[in-house]
Amino acid sequence: MTAEPALVQKVTIRDLKFFYGDTQALKAISLPLYEHKVTAFIGPSGCGKSTLLRVLNRMYDLYPRQRAEGEVLLDGDDILAPTTDINLLRSRIGMVFQKPTPFPMSIYDNIAFGIKLYERLTKSELDQRVEGALRSAALWDEVKDKLKSSGLSLSGGQQQRLCIARTVAIQPEVILLDEPASALDPISTAKIEELIDELSAHYTIAVVTHNMQQAARVSDYTAFMYLGSLVEFGETPKIFTAPQQKQTQDYITGRFG
Amino acid sequence: MNRTLRTRRQLVSLVMMGLSVVATLFGLGFLALILGTLIFKGLAGLKLSIFTQMTPPPGSKGGLLNAIAGSLVMTTGGVAIGAPIGMLAGIYMAEYGRGTRFTMIVRFINDILLSAPSIIIGLFVYEIYVAEVHHFSGVAGIIALAIMVVPVVVRTTEDMLLLVPGTLKEAAAAMGLPRSIFIRRIALRVARAGLITGVLLAVARVSGETAPLLFTALSNQFWSWNINEPIANLPMVIFNFALSPYKDWQQLAWTGALLITCAVLALSITARVLSAQGTRK
Amino acid sequence: MAVITMNSSDVGPKALATTRAAAVRGFRRGDRIFRLVTFAAALSVLVILCGVMLSLLFGAWPALRTFGFGFFIHATWNPVKDVFGALAAIYGTLVTSVLAMLLAVPVSFGIAVFLTELCPWWLRRPIGIAVELLAGIPSIIYGIWGLFVFLPFVQSVIQPFLINLFAPIPVLNILFAGPPYGIGTFSAAFILAIMVVPFITAVTRDVFETVPAVLKEAAYGIGATRLEVVRRVVIPYTRTGLVGGVMLGLGRALGETMAVTFVIGNAHAISSSLLAPGTTISAVIANEFNEATDPMYISSLIALGLILFFITFVVLAISRLLLMRIEDAEAK
Repeated sequence: MTAEPALVQKVTIRDLKFFYGDTQALKAISLPLYEHKVTAFIGPSGCGKSTLLRVLNRMYDLYPRQRAEGEVLLDGDDILAPTTDINLLRSRIGMVFQKPTPFPMSIYDNIAFGIKLYERLTKSELDQRVEGALRSAALWDEVKDKLKSSGLSLSGGQQQRLCIARTVAIQPEVILLDEPASALDPISTAKIEELIDELSAHYTIAVVTHNMQQAARVSDYTAFMYLGSLVEFGETPKIFTAPQQKQTQDYITGRFG
Repeated sequence: MNRTLRTRRQLVSLVMMGLSVVATLFGLGFLALILGTLIFKGLAGLKLSIFTQMTPPPGSKGGLLNAIAGSLVMTTGGVAIGAPIGMLAGIYMAEYGRGTRFTMIVRFINDILLSAPSIIIGLFVYEIYVAEVHHFSGVAGIIALAIMVVPVVVRTTEDMLLLVPGTLKEAAAAMGLPRSIFIRRIALRVARAGLITGVLLAVARVSGETAPLLFTALSNQFWSWNINEPIANLPMVIFNFALSPYKDWQQLAWTGALLITCAVLALSITARVLSAQGTRK
Repeated sequence: MAVITMNSSDVGPKALATTRAAAVRGFRRGDRIFRLVTFAAALSVLVILCGVMLSLLFGAWPALRTFGFGFFIHATWNPVKDVFGALAAIYGTLVTSVLAMLLAVPVSFGIAVFLTELCPWWLRRPIGIAVELLAGIPSIIYGIWGLFVFLPFVQSVIQPFLINLFAPIPVLNILFAGPPYGIGTFSAAFILAIMVVPFITAVTRDVFETVPAVLKEAAYGIGATRLEVVRRVVIPYTRTGLVGGVMLGLGRALGETMAVTFVIGNAHAISSSLLAPGTTISAVIANEFNEATDPMYISSLIALGLILFFITFVVLAISRLLLMRIEDAEAK
């Protein structure tokens, strides 16, 4: 390892507030996501960690009566601005969900589908890209002989990695993972965690988890949220060994009521 | 005293429940009787010539070839036009316009059209098309059937698309997929079994419809592939032949009725099986 | 450890951004067009309804203007003298439908009660499916069965029996006055009833099944008989839906053409006897439209269609509103 390169703020969240109708779900959140680092969001359910993630790719736009205030800068541009092209934004900030959501098509098409939408490629280029994406998701060896079978025929853990591959395939800059392993068995979970670590070499990653050990294992930075507020943000080892806030300490030691 | 009351209540209940069994036997019995007669009388005339010969002039033998072909042409045409319109409308209601006032109104009107008298649709097409071009034709029949198809397909398409999981929609959106591509490439694929069911039901619905063809396609005793002329079709042939005094014609009417019923039942059963498979997943 | 492969086809971030931006512009256009197309299709449903209404109004206008309100209250239907009144057809439509409902509703409710309360489980699905399949049988089948099988039987057995039975009873002896033609209002109503039974049964059964099992169990638990459960729990709970189902059946019956045309007799007359030939709006249109050449004749027939459309629209609208209320309640 050579000297650590300087930290770059890939995403900067400033004074972010979020509302479901009249209910405020996020209260003036400010924190950075550093480039090529993994940031974990932890906190009890309902603390707003998933909500925060869904603001970052403006998923909330799908639903009426949900709105965000404040600033979220991606490479300096405010993604909350009304002029932001949402499709473009989401091609730069990918997302993987709690439950695997393979599309009802073949494994190959699940990956190729997104690539073909954004780029014109020859068949062999496309094949390469699909293989590359499946390799990045550590799935290639398991599926290379059955690329034509349905994505739904895979196991839960494989489906989740397929979804990660699908996200990686369109070459985003940021990947959001919303409790990506909570529906999986321990072995699949371990694979996903390993994968997150590898992906961080090329992508900026934000992962929401309710599993503190997981956060400790996979992340470089950790944000602890409670009741819609950011309680503490810092380097993961610090948060887990020497938290500054009492609430954080209570939560990570399991004394949280 | 209390005991007699209880016995009386139970007796009354028993009698009423007995009546409901009687109602079931009565209602289903009549329907069975109709189907039974249909099969008995229809089979009597079911010969190969039905499928190889034209409808005959009075008093001679013949088949239903031109009527069967005409029915196929018009049903296909009607579904080919009506089903895409119905599907697109259903897509709008379930996706872009979900939950809006406009969608509620369209659904309400659609449900009314679904049960509206089919003869009115015939009159409508006569007014807007036949009266303008001054002749009956297969085209007019196709338009009338298409109008009958639309509401059936709208209803099933909307219902089926509403069942597509929201997680898929989010996953697609998270990749930056535009709505239209999500709908066409993913939602329609997920809902495919249901959509096919809807189309089959629509085919079943229009293939036996007679009233809308009375003043549109009319009928034709001869072979015609020209959809700008009147075209023979099974329902109209059954109608005309059944009301005729000729035994041969009446026999053909029965056989035609049997054919239509079999086709309709086969379609509905296929649709059921398909939708059962679709929902099991 | 897997290596993250960056392939030769990977383009630089700049180039990627441009191709992506172009693709996204394409999306936006595609999306707009698709949305517009689907919207137009949805709109077409409304356009069809308005088109039907307007074209009927337009076609009926000459007759309505000439005969005015009299069109609705006169029973004369004379194509030779060009004098038309819709009363006989309206009367026939209403009487056949109402009679059909009087017969079909109790039978349908009976079947629905049987299916939801009494029927052994293994029989419920087959019978339920049979009922739904029967609802899809084309009405012309009922028509020709009525013509060839039912009419001779009615003429030779049922009508003489009814005429003799009711002869000594006042009022009823007028409603069931001879001679036994076979064809007529009574036969048409009977065929209609058989035809709508599957419709009403299917809706009624669905509605009955919305009753929460706990409610019924609670009633059985305090010793209620089956009849009491049906009358005190099931029916009150589902009243709106039941009326909706009945109205749906009525809507079908009012507009039905083929099942009626074969057996009603097509006589433009209002007869006090239910056994006498009569006619309905749809039967008149089906029988006479293609023979009508005179503009006033055609216009009068279209005016009949307009009346039928109006009646069924109202009935079906009420039915839908009631059924929607049930669906909403269920969704909550």
